[in-house]
Amino acid sequence: MIKDILQALSIVAIPFIIAAFVAYAARKKVPVYESFVAGAKGGFEVAIKIIPYLVAMLVAIGIFRASGAMEILVKLLAPAANLIGMPPQVVPMALLRPLTGSGSLGLMADIMKRYGPDSFIGILVSTMYGSSETTFYVLAVYFGAVNVYRTRHAVAAGLIADAVGMLGALLICRLLFG
Amino acid sequence: MLNYVWIGLVLIGVLAAASTDIYDASTNRYRNGEPFELQYDSTSAAGGTISYSREYYDKFYGVDVDSPDTISYRADLTGSSINIYTEEDSPEIWKTVAKTDDNSKLITAKVLSRHGDMMTILLPTTSLVKTKAVLDALISYSELAVKIALGLIGVMAFWLGIMKLAEDSGMIKIIARILKPVMVRIFPDIPPDHPAIGAMIMNMAANMLGLNNAATPLGLKAMEHLESLNPHKGTATNSMITFLAINTAGLTLIPATAIAVRAALGSKDPTIILMTSFFGAGLATIAGIVAAKILQRLKIYRIDDKLDGNQPDSGGSN
Repeated sequence: MIKDILQALSIVAIPFIIAAFVAYAARKKVPVYESFVAGAKGGFEVAIKIIPYLVAMLVAIGIFRASGAMEILVKLLAPAANLIGMPPQVVPMALLRPLTGSGSLGLMADIMKRYGPDSFIGILVSTMYGSSETTFYVLAVYFGAVNVYRTRHAVAAGLIADAVGMLGALLICRLLFG
Repeated sequence: MLNYVWIGLVLIGVLAAASTDIYDASTNRYRNGEPFELQYDSTSAAGGTISYSREYYDKFYGVDVDSPDTISYRADLTGSSINIYTEEDSPEIWKTVAKTDDNSKLITAKVLSRHGDMMTILLPTTSLVKTKAVLDALISYSELAVKIALGLIGVMAFWLGIMKLAEDSGMIKIIARILKPVMVRIFPDIPPDHPAIGAMIMNMAANMLGLNNAATPLGLKAMEHLESLNPHKGTATNSMITFLAINTAGLTLIPATAIAVRAALGSKDPTIILMTSFFGAGLATIAGIVAAKILQRLKIYRIDDKLDGNQPDSGGSN
C-alpha cells in the first residue's frame, strides 16, 4: 500500500513540479520562456566541465577493477568480514559500491542470480546496493562542476557514510531475516 | 585526500596486475604449450561441437570449477585450426583465453592430431592477462566518462532551465523558507534565504523520490550556489562537504534499481528491501552528516588561509 503510493508519487512528482513552477512563474510575470532558455544554456557548459574530473576518476577505478586487485583485497578482508558476521560472498559489494554504480549493479545481479533473490545473501546484497550511492562518482562530478580540487574531508565523510550504510544493511538484515 | 585515493587506485591496480601476471606465468596457469584432449562431434562438414569432462579440465588446470560434468562448446573446423565459441557460463580459464586472444568469445586453437572423435588441440598462448585488461580499461573507461558527461547535457539543460524559472519567480525562496529550521542546523554557514538552500532541498527531494536524472542537475546547481559563497576558490567548504556526504549516503524512498533487478530475477517479494535499505541509507545519512561536522574541526582539514589569493585555477566558478 505505502509502496504503491510512493511509486505513484515518484511518477507524478516531476510533471506536477514542472507545472507548478511554470504556473507560479507565469503568475509572477516572469518571462517564462526566456528565463528557461537562459538557465538551460548552462547545461552544456556544466557537462563539459566535469569531463576531466570524470575521466580521472573513472580511469583510476577502471584500472583498479581490471587488475584483479579486488579479488586480492576480498581474500585479505575475509577474516574481518567473518568476525562481524558478513557473508564472504557480499564483501566485494561493500568494496565496489562506493567506486562504481554500473559495476556494483552487475555484481548485485550476479550474486542474486547465483544465490536467489529471496535468500539471505540475495536480500542482503540488494539492501547493501540500496543503502548507498556511488561516492566517488558523486565527488568527481559535483566538485568537478565547480572546479574544486582540494576536497578536504569529503572523501573521509563519504566513506564513513558508506561503511555505516553497509554495516546498517547487515545489521537490519540479520535482525529481520536471520 | 582524493589525491591519495587516486594514487592508491592507480598504483595498487598496476601492481596487482603485474604481480598476478608474474605469478600466473611462473605457475603456467594457462598451461601454455600443453596439448589438450577433447572429443569432437561433427554435425556438418565444417561445424560441430567439442566436449570434455569437468574432471579432465580440473586436472589439466589444477582447479575445481563449478560446472556440469561434461562441458561442451560450438566449434568450426577450418583446416588445421578450430574455432571454439565460449559461452557466458563456460569455465573461467577458457573465457579468459578467449578474451585475451582477440577480445571476443572466440578461441582459435591449433589442431595437433585427430583420431576419429578424439582430437588433440593447442590453445593460443595466453600471457599478461591482467596487464592487457588494464590497458583495455584505460581506453574504455575514458570513453565511458565522456559518454556519461555528454549524456547529461540534455537533462542538465532542462533542469537548469526549470531551476532558473523557479529562482526568477521566487519559488525557490518559498521552498527554502519551509525547511529553514532543519537546513539552518545542517548548513550553519549559509544565509537562510540564499538560493543554495532551495537548490539543495530540491536535490535532496529528487534523491528521496529516486529521480536520479533530476537529482544530478539540481545538485550541481546547488554546488554552483555554494561555490558563490566560497571565499577560498578551489577548496571545498564545510557546507559542500556536508551536502555531498548526504548525497553519497543515497537515502531514497524507493530503491527502484535494486527492486527492478530483484523482480527481473524472479523474486517472490522484490520490494522487501524497501524498509531495510531505507534503514541502511538512513543510518548512512546520519553518519555522513555527523562525520562531516566532526572532521571539519580537525586540524588537518582546516582551511589554510595562506592559500588565499594564489590559486592556479580559480576561474570558471560562476
